[in-house]
This record gives sequence, C-alpha cells and structure tokens, in this order.
Amino acid sequence: MQSNLFWLIPVASILALGFAYWFFKSMVACDEGTPLMREIAQHVREGAMAYLKQQYKVVAIVFAIMTLVFVWLSYGLHLQNKWVPFAFLTGGLFSGLAGFFGMKTATYASARVAHAAHHSLDAGLRLAFRSGAVMGLVVVGLALLDISIWFIVLNKFVTAATEGQRLMIITTTMLTFGMGASLQALFARVGGGIFTKAADVGADLVGKVEAGIPEDDPRNPATIADNVGDNVGDVAGMGADLYESYVGSILATAALGAAAFTQAGQNENAFKAILAPMVVAAIGTVLSIIGIFAVSVKKGASQKDLLNALGRGVNLSSLLIFITSFFILKALDLPNYTGIWGAIVVGLLTGIVIGKATEYFTSQEYKPTRAIAESAATGPATVIISGLGTGMLSTVVPVTAVVIGTTLAYCFAAGDWHFSPDHIGMGLYGIGIAAVGMLSTLGITLATDAYGPIADNAGGNAEMAGLPPEVRRRTDALDSLGNTTAATGKGFAIGSAALTALALLASYVEELKMAMMHAGQTTMEVSSVQVPIISATLTQFMTHFEVHLLNPKVILGVFIGSMMSFVFCGLTINAVGRAAQSMVEEVRRQFKEKPGILRGEDKPDYARCVAISTVGAQREMILPSMLAVLVPIGVGLIFGVPGVFGLLSGGLATGFVLAVFMANSGGAWDNAKKYVEEGHLGGKGSSAHKATVIGDTIGDPFKDTAGPSLNILIKLMSMVSIVTAGVNIAFTLF
Amino acid sequence: MTIYLYLSLMPEALIASHLPPEDYGAYLALGPKKRSQGQAIFFKLSEAYAKEKLDAYEGVAELRDGRIRRSAYLSIHRVLEQTPLDAIESLHLTSNDGHVLTLLPKEYQPSPGPRFHLYQEFCPVTPRVVSELEPKEFAATITDTSRAVSIPALVFAELILERLGDDPEANGVENLPYGNLEHLRDCLRELRAKSGKSTKLVVRHLEQDVLFRTIHRGFFVAGQGGAFRFFPMPTRSELETTHYAWWRSALRSIRF
Repeated sequence: MQSNLFWLIPVASILALGFAYWFFKSMVACDEGTPLMREIAQHVREGAMAYLKQQYKVVAIVFAIMTLVFVWLSYGLHLQNKWVPFAFLTGGLFSGLAGFFGMKTATYASARVAHAAHHSLDAGLRLAFRSGAVMGLVVVGLALLDISIWFIVLNKFVTAATEGQRLMIITTTMLTFGMGASLQALFARVGGGIFTKAADVGADLVGKVEAGIPEDDPRNPATIADNVGDNVGDVAGMGADLYESYVGSILATAALGAAAFTQAGQNENAFKAILAPMVVAAIGTVLSIIGIFAVSVKKGASQKDLLNALGRGVNLSSLLIFITSFFILKALDLPNYTGIWGAIVVGLLTGIVIGKATEYFTSQEYKPTRAIAESAATGPATVIISGLGTGMLSTVVPVTAVVIGTTLAYCFAAGDWHFSPDHIGMGLYGIGIAAVGMLSTLGITLATDAYGPIADNAGGNAEMAGLPPEVRRRTDALDSLGNTTAATGKGFAIGSAALTALALLASYVEELKMAMMHAGQTTMEVSSVQVPIISATLTQFMTHFEVHLLNPKVILGVFIGSMMSFVFCGLTINAVGRAAQSMVEEVRRQFKEKPGILRGEDKPDYARCVAISTVGAQREMILPSMLAVLVPIGVGLIFGVPGVFGLLSGGLATGFVLAVFMANSGGAWDNAKKYVEEGHLGGKGSSAHKATVIGDTIGDPFKDTAGPSLNILIKLMSMVSIVTAGVNIAFTLF
Repeated sequence: MTIYLYLSLMPEALIASHLPPEDYGAYLALGPKKRSQGQAIFFKLSEAYAKEKLDAYEGVAELRDGRIRRSAYLSIHRVLEQTPLDAIESLHLTSNDGHVLTLLPKEYQPSPGPRFHLYQEFCPVTPRVVSELEPKEFAATITDTSRAVSIPALVFAELILERLGDDPEANGVENLPYGNLEHLRDCLRELRAKSGKSTKLVVRHLEQDVLFRTIHRGFFVAGQGGAFRFFPMPTRSELETTHYAWWRSALRSIRF
C-alpha cells in the first residue's frame, strides 16, 4: 500500500503542470488592450527573452564544463557514482525550464492584467494571481517530475548488497541533481539580481537625478529594462531559488530518512521515510491548487480585502496540509509518525513566523519602517543609519524562529528531548521534514511572489499607456499588494533556505559514507576501533573525521565560510554599482544624441539598455558564482572534511543572518520611501522624500541582489560539498 | 514666422522665441541638448502686445532672420512692473522634465477662507510670507507704493496650510512639506499675537523647486492701481484626468 503512495508524486506533478498550462492558456486568451499597451508589453517580452537567451548561453557553457568534470570524476577517477553527471544536468535543465515558463507567462500577463483592471479589481487580481500561479505550479510540477523520474530510474537500475544500502545509494544519488538546480539558481539569482538592480538604479538615477523623468516614463530609455528586471529577478530568480530549496529539502530529507532507518536495519521503514517528504510535497501541491481557486475579491474591494484574499488562499492550503499530512504519515505507518507530523507543523509555523516578522520590520504599517521614514527629517544620513539598525534588529525573530523550530522539529522527530546521540538520525530527519513542511505549499506561496512583478509591470504598462485614472488606481492597488507579498516572500525564501541548508549539511555525512563505500572501504577507525561504515552512526563519523570545535581545521573553515558571505555580498553589490553606471552613461548618450526623446518626438533605444544590463549581469555574475563552486572544493582539498564542515557551518550561520539583514534593511528603506510618497512627512518632492529615495537606492542591491543571492550561496556550497564528497575522501592536503 | 513674447518669472526676463509655449517650456526645462533640467514658470504675453514691443528690441531681427534659433533675451530688469497686466494671456508651469501646464486667467471670487494664508512670491522677489490678508487684499497692500515696504508688481501663489491656517498650534500637520515647521508655527503665532502686523516673513527667498501640489487655489498677479489677475489651478480631478501627464510629472519628478 505504502509503495502505491509513490504514484501520488507523478500524479501531483502532472496535475500541477496541467493547471499551469490551463492558467497560461486562459491568460493568453485575454485581451492585451490598446496597441500602445501591446507595444510596451512586447518590448518587455523581447527584453526578457533576450536576457534569458544570453543567460542560458553562459549557463550552458558552465554546465558543459562542470558535466565534463563530473564525467571525469565518475568514469575516470571513479570517485563518484556514474549517475552524478546526468542527475546534475537534469536538475539544471528543469530549473531553467521553470524559469523560462515563469518569465514567459509573467511577460505575457502584465498588459492583460492592466486591461483586465479596466473591468474590475477582481478581474485584475485573479488574472495576475493565476499568472503568478503558473510559476508556482511549474516549479513544483517540474521538481516533482524530476524526482519521480529519477526515483523510478534509480529504483530500477541501482543494485547493492543490501536493500538498505540500495536505498541509500538511490537517495544520495538523487541529492546530486540538487546541485544542478543549485548552480542554475545561483546564475538566475545573481545574474537576475544584478540585472534588475542595474536597470532599476540606472533608471532611477537617470530619471530622478539626471533628467527629472518619473519612474515608468516611456521617455526613459532604461524603463523597459527596469520592467524586464522585475521579471528576471523576482520571477525567474525567485523561482529558481525556491525550486532548489524545494528539491533540496525533499531529497535531503529522503537521504536522512534512508540513513536513519537503514542504520537500525529497518529497510521497510527506510523506504517509508524516503516516501514521506515526497508524498507530503505532492499532497501540498494539490492543496496549493485548491488554495489558488480561493483567491478572489468582491466588487469595491479595499487594499485590506486584497491582502486578505491572498492570505485566504495561502492559509487554506496551509490548514489543509496541516490536517492531511497527519493522515499521510499515519497511512505510511512510520514509527513515531505523530512526532514527524509535529516536525512538519513546526516547519509550517516557522515559515509563518518568519513571514510575519518580515512584514513587521519592512511594512510601512508598522513602527520600524515608520521610524526610518521619520528619521528622514534630519536627512539621508539618519535614514541610512536607522535602516541599517532596523535591518540588524530584524534578524532576531527569524533566527530565533529557526532556532526554536529546529529544536522542536529535532526533538519531535527524535521522540527525545535530551538530544541523545542515539536519536541523531531521526532528529536530523525531523529538521529536514520541517523544511519540507514549510515548502509543501510552495505552489501557492510562490504564486504570491510571482504575482508581485506581474502587478508591478501591469502598473508600469498602465502608466506608460496613459490608462484612465480609475484603472491606474486599480493597478496601483494591485502593485501595492505585490510589494507586501514580495517582502514576505523574501523572508520565506531565506527561512526555507536556512532549514534546507541545515538538512543538506546533515546529508553531507551520508554522501561521505557513500563515497567511502564507493571507494571500496568497508570499515573506518573510530577511537582506535574499526567500525563497519554501513552501520556507523553520525557521531562515529564526526569522531572519525575529527569534526569538533577544538580542531583548528573546523575553526578555519568557519572563518572562511563567514568571510564568503561578505565577499559574495561585496562582489554582487559592487557589480550592481558598476552595471548601473554603464546604464546611466548609455541613457546620457541617448539623450545627447537624440534630444527629441525628452520631448517625446524620438523613441529611445530600449533594447540597447536591456543589452547593457544583460551583458553587465553576465559579466559580473561569473566571479561570485565561480567562488561559490570553487571555495568548497578548495577547502576540501586543503583542510579535508573538518574544513568543509566548518566552511558550511560558518557560511550558513553568517549567510542566513546577513541575508535577513540585507533583505529587511532594503525592504524597510523601500517602504519608508513609499510611506513618504503616500503623503506623510511632506510627501513627494519634500526633503524627507529625497532622503528616503537615497535610502531606497542603497537598499535596492541589498534586498534584490546580495540578500537573495546569499540564499543560494549557503545551499550551493553544501551541494558542491555533497557532490564532491568523493574528492574530499580521496584527496586532502592536511 | 510667429514670434512669441514671454515673461519668465524665474529669473525675471522678457524673452522672444519662435517656440510655442509647450515647446518653449520644455526648452527652458531641459535645454537644447539635455544638459540642464529645472522647473520654469512663465507668462505668454498677447500677440498685440508682442507686435507693439518686439521691434523696440535688438536681437529680434536676428531671431526673425534665423541667426538665433530658439530665443532671445530682450530685458532682464523690472520687466514685470513694466508689463500691463492685460497683456498677460496665459501662465505656464513647467515641470523638471519639461511637461507644461497652461493656466488661463479667470475672474477672482473671494471665498471665506482660513484666518492665515501662506504666500509664495515668485517675481520679482521670492520670499515666502504668512499673512492675515486674503489674496486680493494682500495684492493691494504689497503694491501700495505709499507704504514703505512695497513693490510695483508681484506674482505670487497661495500655498496649503491645512489646519495651521486657523490655529498655529494645530496638531496633525506634520505632513506639510515645508522645512522647519516649527518656524512656520512661530511666524503664525507672532502674527496672531501682534495686532497691526498683517504679514510676516517666513523664508527670505525660494531655495528649492516649487512643489506644484502645494499650490492652493492658484497664482495671482498684482499690479499698480489695484490691477489684479488670477490664474486658477485645475481641480485635483482635472489634474488626474485631463492634465495627467503634467500632474504625474509634477508629483514624481524630483531634483536633488
């Protein structure tokens, strides 16, 4: 019966992709509005596709090189199992496909949403949200499809001495396709983040500082690049990030489950533990679809009604997964299934707490952001100081939530409140499945994220096309809702990345185990005693590899991991500055060569600005991306497994906190500006407004480039270590 | 070829140009090669007045034969006071990025208003003052040359004061976009306390761009002998519909 539950995963995948297709077709069937609206939308579409084409070219080259390296490691040096190169490729391919479909839908939707807002707010909301849902459902659909295919293939072809060993090979092999997704996500997030902010900051600097042109003005040559950037960063980038977290959490949990029960010789339970995260994710997908249909508002809806409508959909899906996950685990008949269910609930609640905390620290409805706005009375310096302070303070709740959530998930699943070494395996499984719980309704939570840029672009289209004031008011309302969901979405992405990275860190040990066995080792020395690798506990592995805080190799790794987060942020933030400068220079050139642009007599060369941002993003993303891949390998080669553990721990602890700080500072600066623009403290054009505009410009690369990219960094470093575990076993300097 | 005659308020100047008001506004704001930006406020003077005046100035011939391509400055001193108010045909407000809003004169109807008014003067001097006088009374007083402090002609606009208009101590006015709100309150308090003083200086001269959204009612031109003209601002609803491009630009375009 339990193995039949597996088929829920491909079914859920097909359902998700089917509904995504239906939403896409329904959206495309809607009218795109006036010829001008179509023209603007076409510019954005062409820009977005030009960006993706260029990005995928670079990614294809990097993937080709990496695949060759993995082929050499697997077939030449025999340090990895033979499936790794293919698993790596499919992970990247499916993540890239999800980004492509999501971007395509978003760029087709914006003008249609603006046109739908002609009829009613509800029509605009429904179209925008269901277009966003395409991204959400494509991500979960493709992820579940990839998981299903690999599970079926490996289940058929993998052979081993024992069933437990076979399951461990299957799960640890599947985990390596996470690296493909991870690397693709890094390019999408870093490249997308640099593109979007280079365009945004460039357009702002030219518009506001150089030419006095407002945002979304068709005379600003960078305005289309700015609109393209919203899609590149918040649709493709966010989608790839969460795709990676989603598959990473499911696969890491499966690997941890297999290890926990195989160690105890419970192969049947090991199989159930592998299925559990996959089935929870599958059911969560179906429940997300139900939630999507619950999102609508009545005529004359207020801003609060709009927010409630989205909340209703997400809450409904969460409530249903809360109930159904209990029955899934009961049907699987896993030992301590109530404790595992408790871990899932903890994951869900942790996600909610992080989302709410993010909203509190970044929304202009609450005190922290208003305090930043009020500090504008004394100029930009105090805006910057208070934004930095608020961002730092905002780390308290998410970090505490993850600490408490992780503790509870560990203890619930372990069935033991004393952190006993005997139950480490189950405890870590609990942490993994808590991440799965948080991400189980990703179909709808990602829909709310992708909704943001669609509504934003719809607003831009309405402005540029000069639609009537009531339509603009509606698109403004939809856009404002998108700003709120974008901030909470970032918090959710960071929180889920932290939990996923924790699970990946634990799975690294399983990969080491597999690598040792792959190298022909059967026993290892633990405190002068030879212990069989297959049945060795996590504590024994830690002892064998000398992973403890008194080992300098661990401490050195921690330092390097912490430094990596800052280096990565520095590189991406500087990249935005440089790319934005190129954009400003290009716009200046266009204004100089075609003075008629400002009088509305000449058309700007939008494509040139898109190309500049694209080239800038591609050029600038290479170094940080390569660092994220090469540093874990380098640390492994020099300091071995203890160094890698230190690196991953340092990277995770610093990266998580820094990401929350960056995202929340940027979000709070952004909304402090919006608060002033709403008419408070002098409103638009006042000195307070100018001070908050400066804060917002500084915050742009914080919240949309460096912060989100750190999510990927912490996961990718774990993934690289997992995939190259065999190299760490075979070669190390110290 | 038509030559238009303009009276620029910031700075005060009489200018002849080939360009019609919308193009001239954009030219003033952005320059010929987009190397400058900035607001502009100017009057278009009537064709009859232009015909009468143009030949008197050097430079117009060069404008006529094309040696000067866009505009020629004819005078930069005491221009407003020498211009009959009847010759002012329309007022043009140009945003930072060159959008132009045209205001036509209308008969002024005094309406019961708050006790205090905030006036921004634009030409020939640019202080900001608070006054107990309603616009027409203020215009008459400031142009009364028998008084020691007077000026022959003045262009000014009334700015919003919200609840401070009735009570200098009023709360809930922190959203007024004026720097140093406490000083404004002090000025209003002084006005309230001292009988016989109807006007008090708040800011000596205009230092920043004009926030067009703060204009209450419209612009006023005061001249000798009680001459007075009123250029009302469109209503908020008209700005959001008929003049949306200008309004959007006026609201969103900021200069650092």
